[in-house]
Amino acid sequence: MRYLALVLSAPVLLAGAVDAKVLRIGNGGEPETLDPHRYNLRLEETILNDLFLGLTTFDAHGNIVPGAAERWSVSDDGLVWTFELREDGKWSDGQPVTAGDFVYAFRRLLDPATAASLAHFMYPVRNAAAVNAGELPPTALGVRAEAPRTLVVELEQPFPFFTERLIYPTGYPVPAHTVEDLGADWVKPGRMVSNGAFVLDDWQPHAHVTLRRNAHFHDADSVTLDGVRYLPTADSYAAFNRYRAGEIDAIGDFPSGEMDWVRKNLADHLRLTPLVSIMYLVFNVTRPPFDDVRVREALGIAIDRKLLTGRVMQSDEVPSASLVPPMVPGYRSAVAATGTRDARLERARDLLGDAGYGPDNPLNVTLRYISGDESKRVQVAIAAMWKDIGVATTLHHTELKSHFADLRQGNFEVAQAGWFGENNPEHYLNLLVSDTGDVNYGRFASAAFDALMDRAHAEADLARRIGLLREAETVGLAEHPVTPLYAVTIRALVDPRISGWHANPRNVHGARYLTWNER
Amino acid sequence: MTTYLARRLAASLVTLWAVVTVVFFLLRVAPGGPFDGERRLTPEVEANLRAAYHLDEPLVAQYARYLGMLLRGDLGPSFRSKDFTVNELIAGGLPVSLTVGGLALALAAGLGIAAGTGAALARDGPRDRWLTFAATAGLALPPIVVAPLLVLVFAVTLGWLPAGGFTTPAHAVLPAVALALPYLAAFTRLTRGSVAETLTAPHVRTALAKGLPTRRIVARHLLPPALIPVVSFLGPAAAALLAGSMVIEEVFSLPGLGRYFVQGALNRDYTLVMGTVVVYATLILVFNLAVDLLYSRLDPRIRLGRTGRGG
Amino acid sequence: MNDLFRHAALGNRWSRTCFLALCTVIVLAILVPAVSPWALDEVDWDAIDQAPAAAHWFGTDGVGRDLLTRSFSGARVSIAIALLATGVSVLIGMPYGAVAGFLGGRVDHVMMRIVDALYALPFVLFVILLIVVFGRNPYLLFIALGAVSWLDLARIVRGQTLAVRQEAYVDAARALGAGRARIVLRHVLPNVLGPAVVYATLTVPGVILAESFISFLGLGIQEPDTSWGVLIADGARTMQTSWWQLVFPATLLAVTLLACNVLGDRLRDALDRRDTVRPTPVAARDASA
Repeated sequence: MRYLALVLSAPVLLAGAVDAKVLRIGNGGEPETLDPHRYNLRLEETILNDLFLGLTTFDAHGNIVPGAAERWSVSDDGLVWTFELREDGKWSDGQPVTAGDFVYAFRRLLDPATAASLAHFMYPVRNAAAVNAGELPPTALGVRAEAPRTLVVELEQPFPFFTERLIYPTGYPVPAHTVEDLGADWVKPGRMVSNGAFVLDDWQPHAHVTLRRNAHFHDADSVTLDGVRYLPTADSYAAFNRYRAGEIDAIGDFPSGEMDWVRKNLADHLRLTPLVSIMYLVFNVTRPPFDDVRVREALGIAIDRKLLTGRVMQSDEVPSASLVPPMVPGYRSAVAATGTRDARLERARDLLGDAGYGPDNPLNVTLRYISGDESKRVQVAIAAMWKDIGVATTLHHTELKSHFADLRQGNFEVAQAGWFGENNPEHYLNLLVSDTGDVNYGRFASAAFDALMDRAHAEADLARRIGLLREAETVGLAEHPVTPLYAVTIRALVDPRISGWHANPRNVHGARYLTWNER
Repeated sequence: MTTYLARRLAASLVTLWAVVTVVFFLLRVAPGGPFDGERRLTPEVEANLRAAYHLDEPLVAQYARYLGMLLRGDLGPSFRSKDFTVNELIAGGLPVSLTVGGLALALAAGLGIAAGTGAALARDGPRDRWLTFAATAGLALPPIVVAPLLVLVFAVTLGWLPAGGFTTPAHAVLPAVALALPYLAAFTRLTRGSVAETLTAPHVRTALAKGLPTRRIVARHLLPPALIPVVSFLGPAAAALLAGSMVIEEVFSLPGLGRYFVQGALNRDYTLVMGTVVVYATLILVFNLAVDLLYSRLDPRIRLGRTGRGG
Repeated sequence: MNDLFRHAALGNRWSRTCFLALCTVIVLAILVPAVSPWALDEVDWDAIDQAPAAAHWFGTDGVGRDLLTRSFSGARVSIAIALLATGVSVLIGMPYGAVAGFLGGRVDHVMMRIVDALYALPFVLFVILLIVVFGRNPYLLFIALGAVSWLDLARIVRGQTLAVRQEAYVDAARALGAGRARIVLRHVLPNVLGPAVVYATLTVPGVILAESFISFLGLGIQEPDTSWGVLIADGARTMQTSWWQLVFPATLLAVTLLACNVLGDRLRDALDRRDTVRPTPVAARDASA
C-alpha cells in the first residue's frame, strides 16, 4: 500500500559544499516514533534500519545476512535457535552489545506496559503471546543469555522464516543502560544510543529526521556518508517538485501521471522496483449476495489485471492471480487467470445469471477504497470492468483510518486491501485463516484450507511446508474469498550520482551501502 | 473599558470550553481509532495501547482528565507522534503557521485596502477598471491551482525560491503569496465598495464642500468609517487563512499547524487535533477581540460595552 | 449611486457578456451530460490520458473517461453546492446580523458570542469532522458549507446595522413611534442589502473554493460523480503532462466565478437604485480630483 507510508529508502546527497555527504531522502511521511518497540510504519523501518543492527540485517541487495549475530544454529526440531554475537559489536556510546541487551529488548517488546503495536511479530518465540497478554511475567519469555555473546531463543513451533522475522525493528536490541536511566526520553535526539551505522542527530517533527555516522559501528570504515536526512514527503506531488528543484536527492514515489514525462526527461533517475506485496479485493462473505461463491467468482474473473496494470497504472506493476506476491522465492502458485477476456466475461455473466442476476435484476455492489489518486484510478477502472457484466458499482472512498476500521469490523461489501512485508508465502496466506482475527477482513472460513495451513505451520521441512501452502492456496482461492490483483511497483527517483543503490523486492537501501559521487 | 475587556475575556473562555467540548465528543463519535492501521494489532496489544493512553476509561472520565490537563496548560502526549508531546509539536508548528499566515494577511489586507481605495477614488478611469478586473480575476483562481503553478514556475523551472520545507525566510514567500491572493482580491473588492459608499456620506460631502485636500479627507473622514466592514472582514479572513493554510502547508511541505491538524484528524490523533483546535480557537478569539477594539476606534458612534437598548 | 456603479462595474457590455457566459455554462451543464455519447463513468480503454481529439473534445482523464462530459457533470454539482450553501448562508446570516446589530446590548452580545464560538471552530475541521462522522454525502457538504459561511455575512450585516441604527433618520422613525420590526424591515434591512449582496457574491466563489480545498485533501464528492473541485485537484497534479485535465475545468470555474462576481456588482447596483433613504450621491469626480 504505497498510499500509506510505504515508501522508500533511497538516498541522496547534496551538491553544495556545506551539506556535502548528507544525503537527503524523501521518506514518504512522518515517523510516529523511533523507538523500535513502539514503531508501526514501514517508513520508520527505513530509519530504524540505519540506526540499529538486529541479529540479522540486509545487505546492499536486500538479502538477509548476519548482523549483530555472526552465525547461528538451529536444533533439529527447529525449536531452539542459538545466536553467536559478533565480538566488535558496540553501542554508539562505546559500550559492547551483549546477549543481555537482546534479552532485555525482547522482554521489553512483549511487556504489556510497553504497549508495542507490533509485539505479535515476536509471537513465534515461546510464551511470547502469554507474556504480551499479561498472563506470564516477561521473565517467562523463551530467551536467555547463555554467555555474554551467546543468545538462545526458543520457539513455540518450527518457524523456518525466523531469520527474516528478525530483520524487523521488533527484533532489534535496545541499550538497557540508557533505557533504564532515561525512560521514554531515551529516543530523544542527543540522548539516543544505537548500534547501527548511524545515530540520531536531530528530529524536527514534519520537517526532517537527521542521522549522522556512528564512529563506533563495527564496519564504520566502509560507511562513506557523513549523514542522512529523511524528509516526511507525504504528498508525492510536492516531493516530486522538490526533487526536481534539487532539494531532495532521492524519493520513493512520484505521481503516476508524471511517468511519461519522467521516462523522457529523467530516464537515468528512474528506478522501478516491484515490491514484495499484494493488492487485492476482499469480499465480505458474511453479507449476501457475497456469500454466494458464484457472485464472487464472476466479479473476480471480470477483472482484467493486464488492462489494470498496463493501461491504468503504467508503472510495470506485476499482475498476480495468486495471493502470494509473484516475486516470493521458492513458491510457484498453482492459481492462474485463464481464457481470453471475452470468454471470461461470458463466464462471469453466466455465473451471475445462475446466481439470479441479469439485465432485469442487476447486481449492485459497493466497492470501498482508500482515498488517494492512484487507488481511485484502479477502483474506477474495476467499476468500469464490472459494468461490462451488467454490475452497477457504487464507489465509496474513506481515508485510511476509517477504511481499515470498517474493514476490521466487517463493515463493507467489497473493498480494496493490500498486504506487504515478508518474503515468504505464509505471511500472505495467513490472511485467509479463519482464526487470524479481524485482518481476515471478509471473515472467510474454510475447514479444508485451515487444516492444510495447520499442517504447514507444524512442518519443519521447508520444501514440504511450501508444498502444503501451495495446496492450501489452491483450495482456498477456489472459493474466491479475495481477488488478488497485482504487486505494487515502487517508482523511485534516485540521483545518478548515488552509487550502491540496488533495486530489490523489499525496497531496502541501507544508507551504509550508499555512496555519493561528486562529479 | 476594563470591565468590558474582563467580560469579553470571560466570554472567550466559555467559548473555548464549548469548542473543546464539542470537538472532544465529535472526535470520539468518528469511526476508527488512533491505533487502526494497515498492520494487524492483536486484541492484547490493542488493549495494552488503550490502557497506556487511558482510552479504556469511561468517556466522561477521559473528558474530565483532558480538561484538568488543559487547565495546567498540558495538551497531553500525541497518539501518533509517540516521541513528542502535543505541546512540543505545537511549539514547532505554530511559528511556521504564524509566519506564513501573518505575512499573507499583511499582504492581503495592506495591498487590498490600498488597491480598493485607489480604485474607488478613480471610479471611471482605467485604473479602477484594471484593479477591479484583477481583483475579480484573483477570486477566480483557486489556490490549489495557483500554489502548484507557483512552485512549477518559481522553484522548479526558474530555481529562484525553494519548492518546499521551512528553514529560511525565503521558504515563506511562495506559500504566503499563494495563500494571500484570494484574500487580496476580497479585500480589494470590499474596500472599493465601502469607500465608494462612504463617499456619499454627509460628513464626507461636507468635507468635500469645504474644499479640504483630498489626502486629508481620505485619511480623516473617508477611511475610518469606510474601513468598518473591511475590519470586520479581518476576523473571518484570519480564520479562513488558517483553513487555507492546511492546503498550502500540504503543497509546500511546511511543518505547520494546519498540517498537524489535517494529519491528526485523518489519523484520529485525538490529543493533537484537540491541541490544534485549542490553539486555533484561542488565536481567533484574541484576533476577534482585537478587531472589535479597532472597530470602536474607527467609528466613534459605536460605543463598546453598552448594556442599554436602542439608540 | 447608479451612475457610479454603472461605470464601476466595467460597463454594460461587459456585464452582458458575463451574463451570457454564465447562462452558457448553466445551459451546457444541463445539456452536455444528457446528450454526450459518453457516460460519466464510461472508460475508453483505448484513450487513457488522451489529449483533446475528435472523439473527446476535452480529452480524457487518467482512467480514460471523457472530460467534456465530466467537466459539465462537475459543473452541475459545483453550481448546486454553491447556490445551496450561499442560500443557506444568506437566509441565516442576514436576519441574524441585522437583529443582533439592531437590538444591540445584551442580545447582541450573546448572539455575537455564539458567532465567535462558531468561528473559533476552524471550518475545515468542522467539515472534516462531519465528513468523518457521517460519511461522504454531497448534501452534507452543502449544509456544512452553508452553515459555516453565514457567520461572515452575519458579522458584516451586524457591523453595518450598528452604524445605520444611529443614523438620524432611524432616530426620527423611532421618534415617530415606528415599531422595532418595522424599523428593521423598512430602514435597516434595505441599508444592509448592499454589503450583503456584495458579500454573497464573495460567498459563491468562496464556497466553490472551499469545495476545492476539501477535494484537494481527498475528502470531496465520491467517484464516479465529480465536481470542479475534484477535477481541478486532479488536474493540478498532472498539469505538466496532461494540461487539458486542468485547463478545461479550471477555465469553466474561472469564467463562472468571474461572471458571478461581475453580476453581483450589477445586482448591487440595481438594488441601490431602489434605495430611497439614501442622500443623493456626490458627483463621482469630486472626491477623486
